[in-house]
Amino acid sequence: MRRKNHIYKFITYCLLAVFLLTALFPIYWMLITSFKPLGDIYTLNPTFWPKPFSLSGYQYLLKNTKYISWLINSTLVSLISALITGIFSIPAAYGLARLNFKGRKLLANIILLAYLLPQTLLFIPIYIMVTKFGLSRSIWGLLLVYPSTTIPYATWMLISYFKSINSEFDDAAFVDGCSRFQALIKVIIPLSAPGIVSTLIMSYTMCWGEYLFALVILSGNTKTLPLGLSGMLFGDVARWNAIMGGAIIATLPVIIIYIFASKYIVSGLSLGGLKG
Amino acid sequence: MLKNITIKNKKLLTALVFIVPTIAYLIFMQGYPLLNAFFTSLTDKTIGIEGHFIWFRNYVELAKDPIFWKTVSNSFVFTISAIIFKLFFGMIMAIVLNQKLALVDLWRALLFLPWTISTIVTVLMFGFMYSSTGGIFNTILMGAKVITEPIAWLSTPAMAMISVILVNVWRGTPFFGISILSGLQTIPTEQYEAAVLDGANDIQKFLYITIPSILNVILLVTVVSTIWTLNDFQIIWVLTRGGPVNATQVFSTLTYNYAFVNLYLAKGIAVSVASVPIIFSLIFLVTRLIFEPNDKS
Repeated sequence: MRRKNHIYKFITYCLLAVFLLTALFPIYWMLITSFKPLGDIYTLNPTFWPKPFSLSGYQYLLKNTKYISWLINSTLVSLISALITGIFSIPAAYGLARLNFKGRKLLANIILLAYLLPQTLLFIPIYIMVTKFGLSRSIWGLLLVYPSTTIPYATWMLISYFKSINSEFDDAAFVDGCSRFQALIKVIIPLSAPGIVSTLIMSYTMCWGEYLFALVILSGNTKTLPLGLSGMLFGDVARWNAIMGGAIIATLPVIIIYIFASKYIVSGLSLGGLKG
Repeated sequence: MLKNITIKNKKLLTALVFIVPTIAYLIFMQGYPLLNAFFTSLTDKTIGIEGHFIWFRNYVELAKDPIFWKTVSNSFVFTISAIIFKLFFGMIMAIVLNQKLALVDLWRALLFLPWTISTIVTVLMFGFMYSSTGGIFNTILMGAKVITEPIAWLSTPAMAMISVILVNVWRGTPFFGISILSGLQTIPTEQYEAAVLDGANDIQKFLYITIPSILNVILLVTVVSTIWTLNDFQIIWVLTRGGPVNATQVFSTLTYNYAFVNLYLAKGIAVSVASVPIIFSLIFLVTRLIFEPNDKS
C-alpha cells in the first residue's frame, strides 16, 4: 500500500512537470526571443538563452512601428468598454438576481444566449451597421461593438455573485429607508466589490485581445494591439524579436492583474461562472 | 387589492429600469444583426453596394461549391479533434491538481496562464515556433533525432491542420482543467472513504464516484468549448488564412474570405448562417444543462 502511494506520487509529479513544461516553454521562448538580436533568430541553431542580450527588438518596435499608438488605442477601448459594461451589467444583474417578476427566466436565458452567440455569426451585419453609422475606421466603432460581448458575460457572472449575497442585507437597507437603487449602490456593490472588479477586469482583457471586430472595423493607421502585432507578421521579413517584444508588453498587464487577483479570476474564467 | 397591484407594478417598474438598458442594447447589437444576417444572406449585397433580393441563390451556390463542403468537413475535424484532446488533457490536469501536492496553488496559477494570455499572443508565439527558419520545434525534434528533415508545419495541408489544432488545444486545455477541477473539489471525501470500506478499488472509485459526480461539469464544459472552437477565427486566420489550398478553411475563415477578400458580403454571411443550426442546438444544450431542475449544483 505504502509503495503504491509512492508510485502514484511519482507519476503525479511527472505529469505535473510535463504540463508545466508544455504551458510555460512557449511563454519562456517568447520572452527570450524578444531579447535576441535579429541575426540570432534566423539561425538553424537557436540558443536557449539570449547571448548577446539585445534590446534591438524593442527599439525597432518603438522607432519603426506605431506601437505606442496601438497601446493607447487598446487601453482606451478596453478601459471605456469595461466602464460601459459595468454601468449596464451591474443593475441588470442585480435586477435579474433579486427582483421576482414574470419573464425573469426568459431574460436570463436571453443574456446567456447573447453570451454564447459567436461573433463570427454577427461580424458582417455589425460591420454593415457600423459603416452606416459612419463609425468604421475609428475606435468609436469598437466602443459601440465591444460591450455587446462583454455585457452579457459580465451580467451572467454578476447574477451569481449577487445571488451569493444574503438578501437580508437588502432588507436591512430598505428598513433604513433606502430605495432599490440606493440599496444596490450603498450595500450590494461594496459587498460584492471583489466579484465586480474581477468581472470588469475580465471584460477589459476580452477587449484587450479582441481581433475579429478590430480587423473588419478598423482600417488604415488606426489599430489596436492585436491588429498591429499581427500586421507585423506579414512584412517582408518577420522581425520576430520585435513581434515577441510587442507580445510580451501586451501580455504584461494581463499577467500582473492575474497574479494579484487570480483567486477571484480563476473562478470567473472557469465554468464556475457559467453555473447560474 | 389595489395596493397589491401597485406594489407589483412598482416592482416591475424597478426591474424594467434596471434591466431594460441592457436588453435594449443587446437587441440592438445582437438581435437585430442576427435577423439582418438571415435577410442579407438572401441578397447579393457586396461591399459598398446595396443588395437585391435573390432568394436562396447564395445557398444553392454554396451547396454546389466543393470548397464549402471541404470547409464543413474541416470545421468538424478541427473542432472534434481539438475538443477530444482538450477534454483528455484537461481531465488529467484536473486530477493532477486535485492531489495533495506541494505548492499546488502556484502550479494551478501557472498551468492556467495559457488561457489567460490573449489569443493573438498565443498565435504569434506558435507562429514563431513553427517558423521554417529558427523555429524551435524543428530544432528540438531534429536535435532529438525524431525527424531528419524539417517539418513544414504550416505549409503542407495535413500538417497545417495539426498545427492549428495544437494551438487551440494548448490554449484551451486549462479551461477544461480548471472547470473539471472545480467539479472534483465538490466531491465529499466521505464518499471515497465509504467506498473503501465497501472494498472498492481505485478504478471502481473513479468509475462509480468520480465520473458520475463530474459528468454534468464535463458535459457543460465540452458543449461550451465546442461552440467556441467551432467559431475559432484568429488562430487559423493569422497562421494559415485557411490555406494551404483550403486545408484549414473553416466556417469563420471562409465567411471572412468571401466577405472581405472577395468583397461578397452576402455570400460570406450565408456561410456563417449555414452553421446556425449546429450552433443553436449547442446553445440550447447549454441552457438545458444549466437550467435543468435535477442539476445538482
